[in-house]
Amino acid sequence: MKNYDKLISDLVPKKFGKLGVIWTSSLLVIIIIGIVAYIDQLIKGQVVTNMRDYALWGIYISNFVFFVATSFVGSVTVAILRLTHNEWRTPIVRIAEIITLAAIVMAGITIMIDMARPDRLLNLFIHARLQSPITWDVIIIPTSIAISFLLLYFPLIPDLAILKDHFKDESPFLSKWYGKLSLNWTGSKAQKAIQTKSIQIIALMIIPISLILQTVDAWLFSTTYRIGWDSTNMGAYFISGAFVAGIGALITVIYVVRRVYKLENYITEFHFDKLGKLLVLACLTYLYFNINEYLIPVFTAKKGELEHLDVLFTGHYAFLFWFVIIGGLIIPSIVLLFKKGRKPLPMFIIGLVVVIASWWKRYLIVTPTLLHPFMPIQGVPESWHHYFPSIHEWLITLATLAMALLIITMLVRYLPVIPIQKTADEQELLKNVKNTKS
Amino acid sequence: MKNQLNIRHFFLVLLSVFCISSNFAQKTKKSKVRLKAQYVKIMNGEIYFDIKASSKVKKKNVDVANIEIAVYNEFDDEKVKIGKTVTNMKGESRFVIKNRNSIKADSTNIYEISFSFKGNDTYKKAKKSISFKDASIEAKLITKDSINYITATLLDKSTGNPISDESLDVQVKRLFKPLKIGEEFNNTDENGTILVLIEEGIPGVDGNLTFEVVLNDNDDFGTVKAIVKAPIGVPIVDESTYDQRTMWSPRNKTPLFLLIFPNILIVGIWGLIIYLIANLFKITKS
Repeated sequence: MKNYDKLISDLVPKKFGKLGVIWTSSLLVIIIIGIVAYIDQLIKGQVVTNMRDYALWGIYISNFVFFVATSFVGSVTVAILRLTHNEWRTPIVRIAEIITLAAIVMAGITIMIDMARPDRLLNLFIHARLQSPITWDVIIIPTSIAISFLLLYFPLIPDLAILKDHFKDESPFLSKWYGKLSLNWTGSKAQKAIQTKSIQIIALMIIPISLILQTVDAWLFSTTYRIGWDSTNMGAYFISGAFVAGIGALITVIYVVRRVYKLENYITEFHFDKLGKLLVLACLTYLYFNINEYLIPVFTAKKGELEHLDVLFTGHYAFLFWFVIIGGLIIPSIVLLFKKGRKPLPMFIIGLVVVIASWWKRYLIVTPTLLHPFMPIQGVPESWHHYFPSIHEWLITLATLAMALLIITMLVRYLPVIPIQKTADEQELLKNVKNTKS
Repeated sequence: MKNQLNIRHFFLVLLSVFCISSNFAQKTKKSKVRLKAQYVKIMNGEIYFDIKASSKVKKKNVDVANIEIAVYNEFDDEKVKIGKTVTNMKGESRFVIKNRNSIKADSTNIYEISFSFKGNDTYKKAKKSISFKDASIEAKLITKDSINYITATLLDKSTGNPISDESLDVQVKRLFKPLKIGEEFNNTDENGTILVLIEEGIPGVDGNLTFEVVLNDNDDFGTVKAIVKAPIGVPIVDESTYDQRTMWSPRNKTPLFLLIFPNILIVGIWGLIIYLIANLFKITKS
């Protein structure tokens, strides 16, 4: 019982310290600046962006693709590790679920930012054509948001009941809210049966839904004839890329949460070791698809595509391209092969680099292709030949990233980042097993 | 009294300022209008004049729209107005002569038609005259040794004599520009005749081809066009997918598999989501 109390006091959400407050305030400032820029964009139109006739998708869409990719982490850690009986996943699943929800919600918001006229959002439903990948996207994103929410919520219910009791004296206001959200959870057999069954259904559902989400995202590009997008490799390429982005984000957030909440006893080096191996697998898989995506066209590409490849390999985007491939995939794979590389701090640095590289990777997927249309770019201002985001685009995009981090921060602040009930159950189980063996 | 004088002076000054300014306004420079006209005769069809009005304003050529142009037939010192026409937004107008007999040639069998614009606030008056003789083209399709040819004879209608050494264009009517066939120049021989080979395999709707034999913008005879229709083309098979359910058709023609399969998925997944939400209520109540 003493152990149980310690477990609860270790894992219940705690007030932020000074750093936490500075962090949250900084995010709020970035968001407010972004909202001001967005209002200006609404008033003046997308002329404030650097998107023009050719680069008609820019940083907003690449940011959207990044969010969609990052949301894949929930499916990987919760569902796949669950189905493959990887029990070590328990301390990391809640954070994965939180990242998934934050990322997919922000993906939905980002696509509205790109629309320029959000008041016309309803038209996407009213005039939907099922032949259009945009319609598929419009359907799958709300579906993913719904399932990601349920993925987070169902396993959380017993913990909310624990929090209700825990905060009864300390903070009656919080306790009241935890009580409402815990849905009168008593831990009865009937409740447990419904919860277990629901979690099983979600775990099974989230895999095809995530695969559909990533694939639809890939098909937005590959159903066109555009150079660099017209590829049958795209679906698998996007899924493996999402695998990398998601695990990278998970490692980064876990490291920070572990340090801030002092959870070294729960999220151990063992977990980082496992996550490191998972990231190597993800990086190597994605590298394989990158080779397919870029090496084969070197042999088979026609003039237009060769020019596109030249721009990536040795031209304007070469630095970013090689940073993504070498810094974001090859070096992490090599470093993580060594046990020392899979220690928390190196893992955090690698995770951060992988996430940054993943973000730029989406930029490289979207922009260079748009600047290589089939017809030569002519009769337009010189600036239309190039694309680099405007200050408005940067501010709004940074605000969306900050908003995703704020959602994560708020959920981490008010929810237990490690499932309390499940950890308690598992520790109990462990004891029983030890007792049986002895 | 003095006051009345002052008021009178004031009105006089005002009136003179108004008169000077209105006079100045009237003298603002008007632009010249350039008229172009082309006579076109379709054998067994209509006769018309294509008129184009343009002007140079600020060193730029602009089309002169919505101006009225009067059309006159001049012969033997007589000038008869035969109608009027108004230019469209491109500065173009087509004046059709419904009855050939409504215009007369002079004693030398030359028709003289003039086009006159009487000017307006913006443009000066303008005039353009064209003269032409009446010519005809008799064209027909002939087949020799299973090979098709177009033969055509160009005649001066006033004398009935063949016109030799004039180039005739032979072309097949297409959706946009006509497709020229034969040599680059098909000059008429001493009998005013040309013979042009028709290559096989020219596509046409239901195999029907429309050939045009054209004397193009000739100095003496204007433009004369004869039309020959012949079912000797390769029938075009209509490959339109307009009525089919395709990936590029509107939403009411969505392919059935795309209606059935995704909708099953959507209903299935959302059914489960609703079931899961219902489970939340069940947890509350159990």
